[in-house]
Amino acid sequence: MNPTYDTITSPEDPSSVRRLVNAELSVASRMGYVALGLAAAIMTAIVASLWMTEPSLPTRTQIGFGAMVGIGLSWVGFATWVLTHRRPLLADHRIVAGRMAVTFTSLFVIGAVVLGLASGGSAPYAAAALGVAMLAIAIVLLVRAHRVSTRLRERRAALERELGRSAG
Amino acid sequence: MIAPTTPVADGRRDELLVVRCQLGERSAFDELVERWHPPLWKYVRRVTGDDDAAQDAVQDIWLRVLRGIHRLRDGSKLRAWLFGIAHHVVMDRLRSQYASPTVDGIDLENVAVDESPPGFDDDAATLHHELTQLPVTEREVLTLFYLRELSLTEVADVLGVPVGTVKSRLFRARHLLRRELESKGRHA
Repeated sequence: MNPTYDTITSPEDPSSVRRLVNAELSVASRMGYVALGLAAAIMTAIVASLWMTEPSLPTRTQIGFGAMVGIGLSWVGFATWVLTHRRPLLADHRIVAGRMAVTFTSLFVIGAVVLGLASGGSAPYAAAALGVAMLAIAIVLLVRAHRVSTRLRERRAALERELGRSAG
Repeated sequence: MIAPTTPVADGRRDELLVVRCQLGERSAFDELVERWHPPLWKYVRRVTGDDDAAQDAVQDIWLRVLRGIHRLRDGSKLRAWLFGIAHHVVMDRLRSQYASPTVDGIDLENVAVDESPPGFDDDAATLHHELTQLPVTEREVLTLFYLRELSLTEVADVLGVPVGTVKSRLFRARHLLRRELESKGRHA
């Protein structure tokens, strides 16, 4: 077949690309990875707090705790990598993810403090301390997400005004 | 849709589209694909010279666009950014296709697409055919500058070379194209 201007443009129908967009922009998938990262972080904090508050553990147990912390951190790293490279969080997604992070880490801190008060042990307080650090990070991320979103919305409004004027 | 099509208005519209995508508006991505898929496909098709290769490359390009648009700082440069991604994807694919182990562009300089000659029933078909006979470097610069109507600066951004290099490639491409057309008794 001769490749004329008309014939070479036939496969430019974007329906296959639309399917790709649908798959790539899945919010459920993104939030799944956010939940995975949070769950892994919280589990790692629990294991780390147990490890830190038991000083006289045998070496093999210490190695076991270290391995579990390492595995937990790997999952956190994997979720972070996916959310920055494969399923990047857009402004609105970042706000949802930030709210999830603040909610889950707050619940974790409250639970750890309640458990500490009830049991009197030191491990729940260590977990609460780690939870407070995670909560602080979550709040910073949420504030930044709101800032980015506000900046983009302001820019969108300005551009719409500008283009509206030039059209009118 | 907004009517005027000055370069400034185009830049603003592109920026608005990028901002909406960065906010996460699903409809903005549909508009992005609707607006930019056909020109990207034509560019890739023209440079690769093959439907299947172009389809694969375009999927790869869109994947990179969807995964990278949140990092685009200046939305008014969307056109150059998109064609820059397309350029890298196509060159990577051509390099692996022709197994060029050496310096950037060396082997590609002499790569021309082997297509059966068209019927020459109109000037556009003739021009297209002659374009496919040019080496990839020249074909690409002509496609970007004339057929995709990018400015010299935008072409330089896309190809990652200085504006002077774009000018010299354009000069060489026009010269080659004119020679080809004249050898077949047609005017450039």
